[in-house]
Amino acid sequence: MDSNTPSSSAGGIGSADTTGARRNSKRPKYSRFTQQELPACKPILTPKWVISAFLLVSIVFIPIGVVSLYASRDVVEIVHRYDTDCIPADARNDKVGFIQSPRVKTCNRTLTVPKYMKKPIYIYYQLDNFYQNHRRYVKSRSDQQLRSPGSENDTSACKPEDNNGMTIVPCGLVAWSLFNDTYDFTRNNQLLAINKRGISWKSDRDHKFGKDVYPKNFQNSTRIGGAHLDPLKPLSEQEDLIVWMRTAALPTFRKLYGKIETDLQAGDLINVTLKNNYNTYSFDGKKKLVLSTTSWLGGKNDFLGKAYLTVGGLCFFLAMVFVIIYLVKPRQLGDPSYLSWNRNPGH
Amino acid sequence: MSGWRGSRLGGGGGGVGGGGSPTADRIPSSRTVRLGKVQPQAPGHRTVFCNDREANALTKFKGNSVSTTKYDVFTFLPKGLFEQFRRVANLYFLMISILSCTPVSPVSPITNVLPLSLVLLVSLVKEAWEDWKRFQNDMAINNSIVDVFQDQKWVCIPWKKLQVGDIIRVKQDGFFPADLLFLASTNMDGVCYIETANLDGETNLKIRKALEKTWDYLTPEKISEFKGEVQCEQPNNSLYTFTGNLIIQKQTLPLSPNQLLLRGCTLRNTEHIVGVVIFTGHETKVMMNSMKIPSKRSTLEKKLDKLILILFSVLFCMCLLGAIGSGIFINRKYYYLRFDNSEKQFDPDNRFVVAVLTMFTLITLYSPIIPISLYVSVEMIKFIQSTQFINNDLCMYHAESNTPALARTSNLNEELGQVEYIFSDKTGTLTRNLMEFFKCSIGGEVYGTGVSEIEMGTAQRSGAKMEVQKETNAAREKGFNFDDARLMRGAWRNEPNPDFCKEFFRCLAICHTVLPEGDDSPEKIRYQAASPDEAALVTAAKNFGFFFYKRSPTTIHVRESHVEKMGKVQDVPYEILNVLEFNSTRKRQSVVCRYPDGRLVLYCKGADTVIYERLADSENDLKRTTRDHLEQFGAAGLRTLCLAYRDLSSDSYENWNEKYIQAKSSLRDREKKLDEVAELIEKDLVLIGCTAIEDKLQEGVPACIETLSRAGIKIWVLTGDKLETAINIAYACKLINNNMKQFIISSETDAIREVEDRGDQVELARFMKDTVKDELKRCYEEAKQYLRSASGPKLALVIDGKCLMYALDPTLRVMLLNMSLNCSSVVCCRVSPLQKAQVGLLNCFLLDFMRNIKEMKNGNQHKNFTWLGDVPTSTRAKRRFLYSVVQNRVTTYYLLEMLIKFKQCLNLSIVIGFVIMSAAFSEYSFIPSCLIPSSLTSPFNHNNSLAASVAAMYSASVVDTLLQFCTGISGQRFYDDWFQSLFNVIFTALPVIIIGLFDKDVNASLSKKYPELYKEGIRDTFFKWRVVATWAFFAIYQSLVLYYFVIASSTSGMNSSGKMFGLWDVSTMAFTCVVVTVNLRLLMMCNTITRWHHISVGGSILAWFIFIFIYSGVVLPKEQENIYFVIYVLMSTLYFYITLLLVPVAALFCDFVYLGVQRWFFPYDYQIVQEIHRHEPDNSRVGLLEIGNNDLSPDEARSFAIMQLPGQKSKHTGFAFDSPGYESFFASQAGVYVPQKAWDVARRASMRTRPKIPSKN
Repeated sequence: MDSNTPSSSAGGIGSADTTGARRNSKRPKYSRFTQQELPACKPILTPKWVISAFLLVSIVFIPIGVVSLYASRDVVEIVHRYDTDCIPADARNDKVGFIQSPRVKTCNRTLTVPKYMKKPIYIYYQLDNFYQNHRRYVKSRSDQQLRSPGSENDTSACKPEDNNGMTIVPCGLVAWSLFNDTYDFTRNNQLLAINKRGISWKSDRDHKFGKDVYPKNFQNSTRIGGAHLDPLKPLSEQEDLIVWMRTAALPTFRKLYGKIETDLQAGDLINVTLKNNYNTYSFDGKKKLVLSTTSWLGGKNDFLGKAYLTVGGLCFFLAMVFVIIYLVKPRQLGDPSYLSWNRNPGH
Repeated sequence: MSGWRGSRLGGGGGGVGGGGSPTADRIPSSRTVRLGKVQPQAPGHRTVFCNDREANALTKFKGNSVSTTKYDVFTFLPKGLFEQFRRVANLYFLMISILSCTPVSPVSPITNVLPLSLVLLVSLVKEAWEDWKRFQNDMAINNSIVDVFQDQKWVCIPWKKLQVGDIIRVKQDGFFPADLLFLASTNMDGVCYIETANLDGETNLKIRKALEKTWDYLTPEKISEFKGEVQCEQPNNSLYTFTGNLIIQKQTLPLSPNQLLLRGCTLRNTEHIVGVVIFTGHETKVMMNSMKIPSKRSTLEKKLDKLILILFSVLFCMCLLGAIGSGIFINRKYYYLRFDNSEKQFDPDNRFVVAVLTMFTLITLYSPIIPISLYVSVEMIKFIQSTQFINNDLCMYHAESNTPALARTSNLNEELGQVEYIFSDKTGTLTRNLMEFFKCSIGGEVYGTGVSEIEMGTAQRSGAKMEVQKETNAAREKGFNFDDARLMRGAWRNEPNPDFCKEFFRCLAICHTVLPEGDDSPEKIRYQAASPDEAALVTAAKNFGFFFYKRSPTTIHVRESHVEKMGKVQDVPYEILNVLEFNSTRKRQSVVCRYPDGRLVLYCKGADTVIYERLADSENDLKRTTRDHLEQFGAAGLRTLCLAYRDLSSDSYENWNEKYIQAKSSLRDREKKLDEVAELIEKDLVLIGCTAIEDKLQEGVPACIETLSRAGIKIWVLTGDKLETAINIAYACKLINNNMKQFIISSETDAIREVEDRGDQVELARFMKDTVKDELKRCYEEAKQYLRSASGPKLALVIDGKCLMYALDPTLRVMLLNMSLNCSSVVCCRVSPLQKAQVGLLNCFLLDFMRNIKEMKNGNQHKNFTWLGDVPTSTRAKRRFLYSVVQNRVTTYYLLEMLIKFKQCLNLSIVIGFVIMSAAFSEYSFIPSCLIPSSLTSPFNHNNSLAASVAAMYSASVVDTLLQFCTGISGQRFYDDWFQSLFNVIFTALPVIIIGLFDKDVNASLSKKYPELYKEGIRDTFFKWRVVATWAFFAIYQSLVLYYFVIASSTSGMNSSGKMFGLWDVSTMAFTCVVVTVNLRLLMMCNTITRWHHISVGGSILAWFIFIFIYSGVVLPKEQENIYFVIYVLMSTLYFYITLLLVPVAALFCDFVYLGVQRWFFPYDYQIVQEIHRHEPDNSRVGLLEIGNNDLSPDEARSFAIMQLPGQKSKHTGFAFDSPGYESFFASQAGVYVPQKAWDVARRASMRTRPKIPSKN
């Protein structure tokens, strides 16, 4: 921009000043900042801009939406709820009593593979109405203790599951309520191997759970919450625990249980032998077993694709509407008759 | 021994005789200052021993150092903190911080305490800095040097070391360091001249006269002999009174205000004076008048508080609901949550306690809904605006006086954009108060070729372009802008009427009360006159060859040239026999003089109306032509005076003189009697001619006023002038034009005069009141008629002081206000300063009244209280007042403060935009350039940025709220502590500030071109609650999008390895989206985008990423939960990028549609203007550097204004000879004390014009 115009006019005043005592001049110095003359672009949201912005968004969004929807559709997912079915018929009146009793809780379920499932097939368990994000629950853990054996006694945050006479490792409600249903899969009476390694995020394994921290006094009080841990395995190898300890955001959540590294054919019957140990009955929680493949985008989730398509489509639609309005009833830009004082003169 | 003491102490303490210990009864005077009133005098008196420090030491007078700081080292912290916690928000955050230290808090205390401390720190530092500047200012003043008489010689000491009783010497143009008793001056007759501009803004010189006894105490030798004792009143704030005695050599001499030199005044035209210090430091009258700097809170701030209260109630409701919910939720069935009685908050057996505690938890959790950085951002913006923008604005720099604009406080900046009323003084504000002899008419002949501006204007209108010869006589003398060779250098001898000329010049040279000063050569002499008009007339006489060079009590010496023959110069002493003074009822002034040859002449000058009444019945031709000329001059906005003379026979004179002396020595009704006697001799006058004096308008005033009125600002001019003059000026500066319907309410009617003459004050008052009431009613009815019609003319109200006084009566106020609020300009003439204050108060008071109009309308029987004009704006828009303080700075300041105080007393919630409080401008014409360009944007900026900031917080908080429904309402936070607390301190604060600073809807030159845009500020469009509601709506929409989109897209495996996200992954994802969305939203809102916008918006987003990279990248020793490595995990998934693209776009989608539709279908005015000028490069302020934006030069513009003077107005002859200082000048000369003005004025006067403070730049 014309940088010298303001300064030259400023100089005009300055030269008028020379007659006076220049040294005492309190004349403010010129700077673009103080004179609020910083070069600026002045975007005006003209109809053309509005329309092209909408078009641009729709052009970008619709393809992304289509692609991610395809990716999501490619994913094969089997969801099977078993919480009620796995209670023997005689115990269905008192599910809580059943689950707390020492009865055998093994349960067999059969799943049908609807479509060809390419390996790896991920096994999730999904809980409902389970408030892993409750404040009392979330904070009831000790990251220090999990990380290093030195801070074993650092359990102040773990109340009320901090100690029962002896320090518990891992302490806190989160660890205490570790999920303990187990699944075994057979296809045509052939055991499908479940790989339980690498189901947790690497950063958790490497940095949050110590390689030399071993479970201690875990689940040995009167109240047993969930799974037991192998006291001989360091925490960093207890991947079920690591997965569980990454608290979920919502009361309905899935957690990775393991993966089957075999392709499953459409129509395959999968027998699941599960040990229905975990008590979700006292709070009416559902339990679901999920088998799922993944795409490049992850698991089955239509939401992203649909959202993209919706937004893109809406933008396209609006772009069209605006075009029509623009053609039918254009508003001339900068029409002075729109100015309020021109609209109703006299006041 | 002392008369005054007896009267003073009266019955009470009569025992305090001369012999009593004077030190004992010095009661410390109260420092409380009553506004506008003279505070009750502390009983007792003070005795000051001149030049005797030991004797005075017993009394322990206060020192002369002053302090205007708000704090000192010890009080700073408690007082400053107290000030800070007066803000709702800060108090709130203090509460939250305390709450967050308890176990109910879901967040760690540091995250609340740290931002609060940061905010407090910033505010305190700012306070400290401002106070430091004040301190420096004080120091500079306290350390100025003055000469003190010590040990037989003059010694230089700083002001602060000065003590009561010291004898000091003040040199020419020096300030008086304390209140002094005037002893002696280098001028003869013990006279000195002072300028009291710092006190009351009057630039005329005032005369002070020392007691005759002390005249010669000038040299060190004499002074050392001086052993006086001053007994005087205790310090008080009355500027115009002083009582005391000076006791020298057992002789008691009464003292009057005439001997008192007040601190803050300047010595002029006197080499030096000697005085005794009477009052020092804070006890000086000026300082007693100064008040604590009130902490001003702007509308915006008040609105903010309101907003915060609203937010708080919303929050409270949310929390209450949540708390109830949590009480319901809590249940032992969630065994894994282990609800038991180990912790009160999770004890299912006591649900009430659970609810209460959860309530606190939630309050703490939701606290960020009220953005803590709000005040800080706003303060930063204002601070930079005032220190960088206003103070450094080249457009507001006045080169002539070398004054830049100075924003005294940054608190009220945004009010600049919302001023609706301007109250202005006339003299010195609209006009320059610089009188110039411009034309005259002698013996029926007009002299003065100077093309009157009106003639130029007329010529311009009729299309005939006149040759404008400018400044032909370049070295024109001040006060003399006359150019006509026919009268100069004796050429008048050849005129057809040389005798008239001679009388005319003599009249000018003799009939006045001017004091000459300096050398008695025409070049060097300086005239001291109480009114600039007089000085101009005497200067004119000098230029015509009648050089008045010396005045003694009985004679006037005139050096006359060319009288007997060309080139002859003779000194003529005229003996002055009587001076019949000017006053506002007489409107004339006469001098009876005796020529050296014995001829007795009465010269008279005065208003045409009074002179014409007293002319002899002859020469009707001359009268007629002169009247024509008078009308001609009057139409041109010139101030006219008629001159006349009368030859007296010595018999008749002697006769009269006896009566005169009798009247003069009468004790009762002296003035009235004098007037009556004067009537006897001021008759059968012979008209000589008339003079025309020009009071130039300030440059750019008409253009300025026009701009302001287009901007919807209503202007009230309050002037001491006469009605006609006031109207004339009003026309000249475009305050009134012919298209306006004028309502004139004047007390100068025959009916009123008649009653006045009867002299019954009670009856007069009643009559006046009735008349005013009738008049008001009539005007009001008429105004209603005009306003009902759709495009009626604008209205103007002209009211004079007396009527105003009655109209301010409580019963009439409402009508007056109704009337005046609907007028686009109001001229109040002949108002006293007190009335000026009252007009302000009137508005202040009644506007509040107005707000209750709804109740009034609905049912109550205030039938007379209907509304004029368009109701919505008058009821809903807040009125704002702008006081222009240019010349009369102190007065108006005082007034403003008074208003504020008054307002607080009444607990009025009206908003008054005391603009000049925050920015003192050096010239009138700068007001629009400040108001309009920089401040049109000002409220706009703040409000938008506020709204944005609030909305931003809203988005963040609503997400939290939504989450609560999924966490069993346990108060689990969604975001990490630090995310939340840094959010508006770091991640969004900068763009908010930058937008507040730089965003402008249109640039400066355009806002000058379209002043109408300003109306939007007045209407407060940008901070209507509707706007806030819109923002809130979009904020909620955004939060919904942010929350649900992020949550819903994270329910399945996140990458091809099927791993799931946890709570913190999702929340970090969401927060990233929030930061990006909010920053983009802020950018979307801008009208102009500078590189600072890019930097701040980009920087904020970047800051977030840098923060999260570091924060989640390192293992912290304390609880970190699962934040560790979260961002890296997130960024390793494709999901992150896809969501990050989707969510902000989806969230801003609605806003974008809204903006687009709004602009397309319901454009704001400024948007249209933007569009009109969208292709123009931004050379914004170039045009502004020249005053007056149109192609007309200021002079042309002015003449154009004068040209629009109404036809009928040209009938009026523009008599104006009544400057306020005039009467008091004569009064004090005659030894009559000036009646104390009810309204004493001063405000830190001595502080202001001190030239120093060694500035760092």
